[in-house]
Amino acid sequence: MLSSPGRQQRRVVVTGLGAVTPAGWGVKAFAQAILSGRTTIGGFTRFDHVAQRTHIAGEVPPEPPTLRRVRGWHRLSNTDRFAVGSALEASQQAGLAWPLADADAAVFFASSTGGLLETERFVHALFDPGVATATRGLLASYSLSSPAEAIARRLGVTAAVETVSSACAASALAIEQALRAIRRGEVEVAFTGGSDCLCVTTYAGFNALRAVDEHPCRPFRADRAGLSLGEGAAVLVLESLDHAVARGAAPLAELMGAGASCDASHMTAPNPDGYWAAEAMRRALADAGLDSSAIDFLNAHGTATPLNDAAEAAAIGLVFGDRAHAVPVEATKGVVGHLLGAAGAVEAVATIVSLRAGTLHPTPESGPVDDALGVDLVLGRPRTSSTLRTAMSANLGFGGANAALVLRRWSEESES
Amino acid sequence: MSDRLERVVVTGVGVVVGACCGIDALATALHASSSLAAGVESRSPYHGEGSATQGVLSIGVDLSPWVPAATGRRMGRPSRFAAAAARMAVLDAGGAAVDDPTSTVVMATAYGAIEATEHLLRVERREGPAMVSPFGFTESVANAAAAHIAIATGAHGPNLTIVQREAGALTAVGRGALEVASRRSRCALVGCAEEMPPILHAFLDRFNALARGTATMTEAARPFDRRRNGFIAAEGAVVLVLESEREARARGARIRAVIRGFASAFDPTAGRLGWGRGHVALGGALTRLLERTSTDRSRVSRVVSGASGSIAGDRLEAHVLHEVWRGSTLPPILAPKGHTGEYGGGFLAAAVLGATQPNAGPTVGFDEVDPDLDVTPHGGGELPASDVTLVTSLAAGGAASWLLLEAV
Repeated sequence: MLSSPGRQQRRVVVTGLGAVTPAGWGVKAFAQAILSGRTTIGGFTRFDHVAQRTHIAGEVPPEPPTLRRVRGWHRLSNTDRFAVGSALEASQQAGLAWPLADADAAVFFASSTGGLLETERFVHALFDPGVATATRGLLASYSLSSPAEAIARRLGVTAAVETVSSACAASALAIEQALRAIRRGEVEVAFTGGSDCLCVTTYAGFNALRAVDEHPCRPFRADRAGLSLGEGAAVLVLESLDHAVARGAAPLAELMGAGASCDASHMTAPNPDGYWAAEAMRRALADAGLDSSAIDFLNAHGTATPLNDAAEAAAIGLVFGDRAHAVPVEATKGVVGHLLGAAGAVEAVATIVSLRAGTLHPTPESGPVDDALGVDLVLGRPRTSSTLRTAMSANLGFGGANAALVLRRWSEESES
Repeated sequence: MSDRLERVVVTGVGVVVGACCGIDALATALHASSSLAAGVESRSPYHGEGSATQGVLSIGVDLSPWVPAATGRRMGRPSRFAAAAARMAVLDAGGAAVDDPTSTVVMATAYGAIEATEHLLRVERREGPAMVSPFGFTESVANAAAAHIAIATGAHGPNLTIVQREAGALTAVGRGALEVASRRSRCALVGCAEEMPPILHAFLDRFNALARGTATMTEAARPFDRRRNGFIAAEGAVVLVLESEREARARGARIRAVIRGFASAFDPTAGRLGWGRGHVALGGALTRLLERTSTDRSRVSRVVSGASGSIAGDRLEAHVLHEVWRGSTLPPILAPKGHTGEYGGGFLAAAVLGATQPNAGPTVGFDEVDPDLDVTPHGGGELPASDVTLVTSLAAGGAASWLLLEAV
């Protein structure tokens, strides 16, 4: 009798957004950056990369002074700071009074690095004891669950706090977990998203895979040559529609559905035919009770590696069929880079920004689109449309983890 | 999809814990009067003077019957443990639809693939980034074990890796069970995998998390004991096969236990590295789980406790139980981490055994009641008839998870 309160298929809405990206601290800076179509990827100082093969990334600028006054801020790792900064922004927009009633709020979060940057400093100090000191404090945020716990501690959350670490699909999967928990009635409100920081391990690792471009990444372009790493976080406040309405909150969007799958074929390379990535998209559509014709645009994973973009384009073809060439595709990573465990959340925020602005954000113009992929990439300039209503955001990760979300712009008619 | 939730059962268990391969080997070990711990490589460059020396390690265990060497050499140790445990679990379940397109994998890890990360950093530092192995990097990601399970079994449903420290394993079981209960997934492979290389063992020791020997007592985990001073770190993997009771009965599968309920909560009074004092709120969350599943406390015939020998963790665990039982006599409490150590899944497998077996071994390490805790764990021998078993995990950092298992 594994039970829930029996309130399945409750509608779930987004009432708050927060983002920390290479464009700055806050959704406003992020929205301006993506709508401008200018890349934020460039030189960075997070760690010494002189000996690395490449020398660019999307680096988050220093935090605003107001955040430095948050209690315990100086003890948090960078990843935790991005997470807490995003959560505070999202909760403020949602207008949630804290602490919420007992057991009403949960955190479903994602991270692929946690406090790995600080742990690297500890380990390097162990390797070279004369050069640096291995203080325990550097290890305190090591756990990948630390960002979720930092949010929960800051906001006084007492219900579930869970972390998903499934590579680049992690935060989309965490958002799905939050959606299901609210639908089941486990909680009324969930803080969900992801946070990750640039670090030596991922930078050297992706370079070892020859998956990093020496120039800012060019998703779906004919001459694409790999990804650009980035860092940052995004948080979405999800809540049941009933709860939002009861407290007079203004929904920003509705999370209509989510789906996931696994290639189950290779640790790094996506299934080239895109079948299982397409299956995640189909499952998200089925969960939303929609068919593919309802999707007005897709925010793609679009890493700009030759294999990923080809597999994703194949998946788009399988899902959208004859419409595949006509469904506009956004590729947010061209602006901010690949935020790994935070990518799905940041791109969900980008999708909501586009839905609400009625404007598809462009990826920076640099080279022709790969015609062989057959995608309608929004390139160079934003595209405005009065008919944008429903969108999909997709993510594909290491280990073949695929996830997709379906989001709908909120309007007065949505409530009925 | 029907709104009605399916009953979910455990039909397979795969175990790689210490030197134990398989659930039967672990069951035998749990009846012994000594733990599974052995000496660790405590003279690694990371360990200091007088550091802890014990761990439950799976070094030298022959996994080739489940993971051929040609496949295993491309995996990190947690992935090998997990893939082997998954194959054992699938065999144990005997015909479960793990390769169904909807079948899900939900695995937990507390620390991920530390050895691969350490190796990458060492090479990057000593020999330069150009010498970093792409293979090592792909095995350094936390979801490597879950991915290898999917590759090994053909599970194409959602593939999740949960990281919630000591609460992760039960959370993975709970989330996987909900996937099956809601009929989104026909089958679920759930559990946890962990490795305990010297660097991680030394890190835990630096935070005073591990048990230490003293002039008067040996180094050992002492769950609930007055003299407890830390846990024994462990590695390994445990995977359970979950499916609907309807499907399991239809194919004549052996049902090891029913998953009756799951809940998780958070104690915001906990710091980043330890346990808090939020037993009242956590007790409330556990009480709500019992109420939501219509489980009167009197039906809880056993508790399989996550107490590990941690000073603050065991205190919180005891106080939460007393908060729920409120002066009534606590059910018999099994504390298998005295045998299995912390992490690596031994506890999860022990919980399945503890929920169903008519007797249990002694609580290794327990000798003296702590008056602050007022808990005396099971001393070994026969148990009352099993009905509902409460399984608990309170994690450092504040997370908590509980499972209710029901005997068939």
